Amino acid sequence: MRREWSVAIAIGALAAALALVAPSYFSAENLRDIFLVNMPVLVAAIGTTLVILTGEIDISVGSAFAVCSVAAGVAAKAGMPTALAGLTACAVGAAAGAVNGALVAYAGIPSIVVTLAAMVALRDGLRWTTQGAWIADLPPRFQWLGVAQSTFPVVAGLASGLLVVAFAWAMRNLAAGRAVYATGSNAQAARLASIDTAFVKLAVFTAGGALTGLAALLNSVRFNQIPSNTGIGLEMKVIAAVVVGGAAITGGRGTFTGTVLGVMLLGAIGPALTFFGVSAQWERALQGAIILAAVTVDAARAGLSRTALVGA
Amino acid sequence: MPSRILLAALGIEAVVFAAIAPNFATVANVFEVMRLSVEVGLLAVAMTPILVTGGIDLSVGAMMGLAAVIFGAAYRDWSLPIGMAAAAALLAGCGGGVLNAALISALDIPPLIVTLGSLSLFRGLAEGITHGATNYSGFPPTVLRIGQGYLWGIVPAQLPILLAIVLAYAIVLHRSVIGRAWYAIGFAASGARYAGIPVARRVGLAYVLSGLVSSLAAIVYVAHLGQARADAGTGYELDAITAVVLGGTSVFGGRGTIWGTLGGLFAIAVLQNGLHLAALPSELIGVLVGTLLIGTIAIDRMRRRSRALGGRLQEEDTIVRNSQVAVLCAAVIAGALIVAGTNVWLVRSIESNVRGAGAAVPASRRAHRPVVAVMPKAKGDPYFVSCRAGAEEAAQELGVDLIWDGPTSLDAAKQNELVENWITRGVDVIAVAVENRAAISTVLRKARERGIRVLTWDADAEPDARDFFVNQATAEGIANALTDEAARLLGGAGDFAIITGALTAANQNEWIAFIGKRVSEKHSGLKLATIRPSDDDRDKAFAETQTILKVYPSVKLMMAISAPAVPGAAEAVRQAGRSDVRVIGLSLPNINKPYVHAGVVQTVVLWNTRDLGYLTVYAGALAADRKLPAGTRAIEAGRLGAISIRGSEIVLGPPLLFNKENIDRFDF
Repeated sequence: MRREWSVAIAIGALAAALALVAPSYFSAENLRDIFLVNMPVLVAAIGTTLVILTGEIDISVGSAFAVCSVAAGVAAKAGMPTALAGLTACAVGAAAGAVNGALVAYAGIPSIVVTLAAMVALRDGLRWTTQGAWIADLPPRFQWLGVAQSTFPVVAGLASGLLVVAFAWAMRNLAAGRAVYATGSNAQAARLASIDTAFVKLAVFTAGGALTGLAALLNSVRFNQIPSNTGIGLEMKVIAAVVVGGAAITGGRGTFTGTVLGVMLLGAIGPALTFFGVSAQWERALQGAIILAAVTVDAARAGLSRTALVGA
Repeated sequence: MPSRILLAALGIEAVVFAAIAPNFATVANVFEVMRLSVEVGLLAVAMTPILVTGGIDLSVGAMMGLAAVIFGAAYRDWSLPIGMAAAAALLAGCGGGVLNAALISALDIPPLIVTLGSLSLFRGLAEGITHGATNYSGFPPTVLRIGQGYLWGIVPAQLPILLAIVLAYAIVLHRSVIGRAWYAIGFAASGARYAGIPVARRVGLAYVLSGLVSSLAAIVYVAHLGQARADAGTGYELDAITAVVLGGTSVFGGRGTIWGTLGGLFAIAVLQNGLHLAALPSELIGVLVGTLLIGTIAIDRMRRRSRALGGRLQEEDTIVRNSQVAVLCAAVIAGALIVAGTNVWLVRSIESNVRGAGAAVPASRRAHRPVVAVMPKAKGDPYFVSCRAGAEEAAQELGVDLIWDGPTSLDAAKQNELVENWITRGVDVIAVAVENRAAISTVLRKARERGIRVLTWDADAEPDARDFFVNQATAEGIANALTDEAARLLGGAGDFAIITGALTAANQNEWIAFIGKRVSEKHSGLKLATIRPSDDDRDKAFAETQTILKVYPSVKLMMAISAPAVPGAAEAVRQAGRSDVRVIGLSLPNINKPYVHAGVVQTVVLWNTRDLGYLTVYAGALAADRKLPAGTRAIEAGRLGAISIRGSEIVLGPPLLFNKENIDRFDF
C-alpha cells in the first residue's frame, strides 16, 4: 500500500492548495464534471490494471476505444436499443482484446508488439472505413442512456463504483483473481501450481477489451454525435494512471485502490492548473514533472527504507 | 543479422512495388527512401541497445521537439553562432538523457514510467519555451544543406550521419565490452552484477546516448524542414520502436542487433514509399505495418520453437500443441471476420459520406489523361473529406486522374515525403494544402524544376515555390469575420475565450494573432480571457470549456477555432445550461447543425469547402494542359463560373457565415 499512500498524499496536497487558492474547485458542479470526464478513463483503467497485473501491456486501448465508440453509434443508429448497442461495443472490444490475448498467450509474441500493431492497424483501418466522417443523428434515447441528464451522473457513478468494488473484491477473494496475481508474479511457478497462465492472459485481454467497449459507451452517451478520431492518446493516460497508482509494470503487484487514486490525481491536475491560472503552454510540462516527482519520491523513500534495513 | 523472414518480406515488397509502382526501382528512389528514414533511423539505432537491456525509451520523439526548439532559440533568440546552437541542442539531449538515466538506474524506477513522464515533460518544455506558437526559421544555408542537399549529385547529405551513427553503435554493441555488458544485463541483470558489470552505469549510458542521438536527429530534422517547432518528432518514438522490434530485437532484452534494426527500418520505409508511388491510400500503411509486425514475429517465433523441438525439449513453454495452434487460428479468423463484418456494416451505414473513394486510385496510367495529385493537410479530417468530394466532382467532369492522398494526421515531414514520392512517380500537377510553409517550399521548387505544375491550396507555400495559390480566404479575413461577429453578439463589449486546436497549430496561431490585432484596433470593448488547447479533440474541447465557464464566469462568448472544438464547446455550454454564453467558431456545417438549430451555436464561419476542392482540381487540370500561364487574370471554372485571379492567387470568394437561416442549404 506504500505507493497508494504517496498518491493519496499528492492528491491531498493538491486539494489543500486548491482550497486555499481556488475554493470554487470543490463546487458540486465542478466535481461532477471532472468525474464524468474521467469516468471512461477509470473504466478503461480497470481493464489495463488487469493486463498490467499479469505482466503484460496493452497500448491499443485508444484505438479500440474509437472502434467501439463508432460501433456503438452505428448500432444505435441501426435502431438497436441502447443496451444492445452497448453490448455491441463491448463485444467488438472483447473481440479485439481476444485477438491480442490469443497472439500474446498462444503465439508467444510480446504484448507490446501485438498491441502496437493493433493500435496502428485499428486506427488506420477505422480512418479508412469512416473516411473521417462522424456518426451523427443518433436517436435521442441514446444520449444519457435514456435517463435524464441530471440522473446520469448518479447512474454512471454507481455503475463505475460497483465495477471497481466488484473487481477489487474478486481480485482479492476469488481464485480467478489470485490466478491473475500469480501469473504476473511468477508465470513458471503459477503453471506448476496448475494455473493455466495462457488462458489467464487471454482472459485479461478479453476483459480489458470489453471494459474499453463499456468505457466507449459511457463516453459516447454524453454527446449526440460520435467523432471517428476519438480516444487518441487514451492509452497513455490510462497506463500513466495505473502505474502512478503503484502497479508494477513487471506484473504481480498493484491494486484497484491505487488505480482509482491514479486516475483521480491525473484527472484532477488538468482542470486544477486552469483554476490556478497556469497558462496552457506550461501545462504539459507541469503534468510530466508531477508524474516524475510522484514516482521519484516514492522510489527515493523505498531506497531509504532499504538502506535503513541493511543498516539495521 | 535481420531474420530471414524479414529479408524475405523486404524482397517481396521490392518485387511487388517494382511491378506496380512507377519509377520504384530507380537509383534515385533508393536514395530518396534512405533520406526519408534518417531521423527515425537515428532514433531506432539508439533505441536498440535500450531494448537489448530490457528497457524502453518513449521520450525520444519529445526530446527531438525540445532539442529542435532549443536549437532554434539558441540561433535566433540568443544569437549564438550556428555551431554553438547545435552544441546547445546536443547538450540538452544529453541533459534529458541524464535525467532519464538517473531516475532509471539510480532510483530503480521502471523505464516505461520514467520515459512516459519525461515524454510529457520534454514536449511540455518545448511548448512552454515557444508558447506553442514560435516557429524558428531562417537557418543558414550550411545547415539546410545537411537536410536538403546532395553529395556528388545523388547521395542525400544526411545519409553519412546515419551511417556514422550506425557504425558507431554497431561497433559498441557488437564488438565491445560495453555491448557485451548490455546483452548480459538484458539476459539477467542480477547475474550481470555478480559478474562484476556496473549495471547502473551501463544502463544509464544507453539512455544518455539515446538522448544525445535524439537531439542529433532533431538537428537533421530541422535542417530537412528548414524550420524548428515544438511539435517536431511527434509520434516518432512508436515508429522507432516498431522498426527495432520488426528487426528481431526482443522487448524482454538480451537479443537484437543493429543490422536487424536497419532491416526493420527499411522494410517500413520501402512499404511507405511503394504505397505512395503506387498511389494507394496512406491508411493502408498502418494496416500493413501492423500485419507485417505480427506476421514476421509470429513466424520467427514458430520457427524458433520448431527448431527447439527438433533439438531437445527444453522448456515447457516451447511446445506448441496442435490444439493451441487451432485455437490461435480460430481466434485470428474470428477477429478478422468480426472486424470485416463491422466494417461492411459501417461502410453501408455511412455510404452517403463516401463518394467514390475507389475512384481515386488509377490502376495504371491511362494514355494522355493528366494526373493531378492533390494533398490535404490530414486525410481523416472532416474538413478535408468534404474538400475531396468537390475534387472528385471536378476530376470526373474534366476526365483527369485524381490522386488524393496525404498524411493521416498533421505532419509536415510526411507531406514532404509524399511530394518527393510524387515527383519520383512523375505526376503532371501537384496541389498541396501546406502544413508548414518553409518546410515544403524546397521540395515544391524541386518539383517545378522537373517540369511539374505546382499549386497550393488552403494554405500557401513561399510564392516562388508554386505557380498559383488557390486561396479560400486570408488569415486576416477569417480573423476579422470571427472578431466582428463576436463583437456583434456581445454588443460591442465583454469577455470571450478561445478554444484552439493544438497549441502548436500554425494556422490557428496566425488567426489568434490577427484576432488580437482586430480587437485592439476596432473592438476595444472585447477582452480575451484565456486561450485553451483542444488538440483537435471534441471531448477535450468539451472538458476545457466546462472549466473555463467555471473559472471565468464573466466569459460570455466561446470562440472555437478548430473544426471538432465547436461542437465540443457547444455541448459544454448546453449541458451547463448557460444560455447567456454564445458560441461561434470556425467549423463545418454538418457537425454543428444540431447546435445551430438549438440556438447554442450562433454562427459558424467557413467557406464552401466542396467548391474549394472543385476549384483546386479545375485549376490543376488547366495547368496540366498548359492553359494557365503566369499572368492569367481570370478563369472559367465550370459550375463556379468566372473566378478572378489576383497576382498568382486564385480567389474562391469571401468566407461564408452559417447560421440558423442558411445552414441547411449546405451538406459537408
